[in-house]
Amino acid sequence: MTREEIYGKLNEVFQDVFDDEDITVNDATVASDVDGWDSLEHINLIVAVERCFGIKFTMGETTGLKNVGEMVDKIIAHLG
Amino acid sequence: MSLVSALFLVFVAAVLLLYYVVPKSFRFWVVLAASIAFAAFLGFYTLLFVIVSAVLCYIGGFLAGPSKNGKRGNAARTAATVITVVINIALLCAVKYYNVLGLVSERLNLLFGASEQANTFFLYAVPVGMSFYVLQTTGYILDCRWEKIAPEKNFFKVLLFSTYFPQLMSGPMNTYANLSAEFEKMKEVKFDFSRISDGAIKIAWGFFKKLVIAERAAMVVNMIYADHINFTGWYVPLGVFFFAIQLYTDFSGCMDVVIGVSHMLGIDLPENFNCPFFSKTVKEYWRRWHITLGAWLRDYLMYPVLKSTPLIKLGDWSKAKFGKKNGKKVPTYVALLILWFAVGYWHGGLWNYVIGSGILHFIYIVLGMIFEPAFKKIRPKIGADKLYFRIFQSVRTFILMLTGFVFFRSASVKDAVDMYAAIFRKGGVALNWTNFSASGMNLSNLIVLICGVLIIALVDAYKYRPSEDEEARSFTGMLRSKGIVLLWAAFMLLVIATLVFGMYGLGYDSGSFIYARI
Repeated sequence: MTREEIYGKLNEVFQDVFDDEDITVNDATVASDVDGWDSLEHINLIVAVERCFGIKFTMGETTGLKNVGEMVDKIIAHLG
Repeated sequence: MSLVSALFLVFVAAVLLLYYVVPKSFRFWVVLAASIAFAAFLGFYTLLFVIVSAVLCYIGGFLAGPSKNGKRGNAARTAATVITVVINIALLCAVKYYNVLGLVSERLNLLFGASEQANTFFLYAVPVGMSFYVLQTTGYILDCRWEKIAPEKNFFKVLLFSTYFPQLMSGPMNTYANLSAEFEKMKEVKFDFSRISDGAIKIAWGFFKKLVIAERAAMVVNMIYADHINFTGWYVPLGVFFFAIQLYTDFSGCMDVVIGVSHMLGIDLPENFNCPFFSKTVKEYWRRWHITLGAWLRDYLMYPVLKSTPLIKLGDWSKAKFGKKNGKKVPTYVALLILWFAVGYWHGGLWNYVIGSGILHFIYIVLGMIFEPAFKKIRPKIGADKLYFRIFQSVRTFILMLTGFVFFRSASVKDAVDMYAAIFRKGGVALNWTNFSASGMNLSNLIVLICGVLIIALVDAYKYRPSEDEEARSFTGMLRSKGIVLLWAAFMLLVIATLVFGMYGLGYDSGSFIYARI
């Protein structure tokens, strides 16, 4: 799966989790850029991403992601 | 050894002298030796406890991490993690509580207010805040299991991580990744006068908070909490208000001393407080009060619980039952309940802590989450962006915090409920200056306290204002930007104010830091 394809699916996940169809994310997107992305919603997002891509983030990855770019890197690594 | 004692200052001066005199490669050993010596000062059992716990932490981290040849499977690593974490926490219980065996039954009694029984039952065997220590070392083992870090091969590095003397008694809690990166700086850091002066002013600020304000506020608190049978009516909110001041200046003052000492060594520790009493909501308050505890419990307790299979299944069920929007909140509420129970329990193991520092805050936060959508709709109508509403929000949040402090400071749930009842009880001591000043709070003490609180409020207000630049938000940063002379003038003023107005000296027993007893 290419990075662009991952972003296509990832945007849908973000829009669904945060209930906002206008959200588009990129490598530099961080929690403060998305309305409602707080520490509680973070896990809902992680679980939704895991389900969408059929992967499982480790706890280290779950708590250590700095931005969406890192999340995409991890998704690519898990997809092998 | 109290952090606000002349002995501690002499100890720090000696460590600093050695630290900057020896070759840089020896500094690690200087700080480690200082940390072991500091633990020894706290008592033989404290020293024994921290060393045994560090050995356990080292072995636990090694077994919880991945093996080189990959022979140690996930099941073995998880088992090693669970066993070492349980032993680590059991060690804490064993030393912290006098009699662990009857714990469960006694807890049930405490719910119904057996305060005297509780006080004799929960005798502290170790006089320092080992609760901080155990959480930090537990975090190390979990980090190894979750592969956030590689298990440390050098035992002495783990020993220093777990015993680092400035933060041993009261935190701030740290992760191995952060603290070991800071320790690496010891090899490079040069003697820098501005670093020493920044650290010194932070320490002086901490001493000022503790000795001038916290100890003074404690006079009123001790009088009212000790006799709420007679001190009724307005005395109760007054006592709780003074306790809020005492607790904040006590704990944040302690943190200032800790962070200041560490900064002088070139090792920067995270801030634990960020103007909590200006918070607009309870949620925001907990992002500003005891920040490192909140971050620890979020990363090591709440996230794993929320990511666990039962909670994910609960989320699927509740979304099907209550709809996507409301349903997804159900597992969050369950995780929050577990989190806040843990916060309360960690504070002291008694039900008054579980309620006052835990469950009550859980209720406030969940209510806030439930009413948030409705509030968003009416925001424009009530002028929510206006200053008056902003002030209302901070006052409301502060009052909600006070409701928890009633439990926090009381000896039992029964005492806390009695305190609430005392607000409405008639016939107690009349509220007048003669009775109030019986606590020792005479006019000059009150004036000093009010001035001290105003200074802290102004510094916090300066820090709270929105600014992109972290340095510009810092009061010390502002003073430094005006020149080193102003910074040292502020330092001297703080020292003189503390020497003149501080509650210390022969015959005066300055209470230990409240959070060092946890």
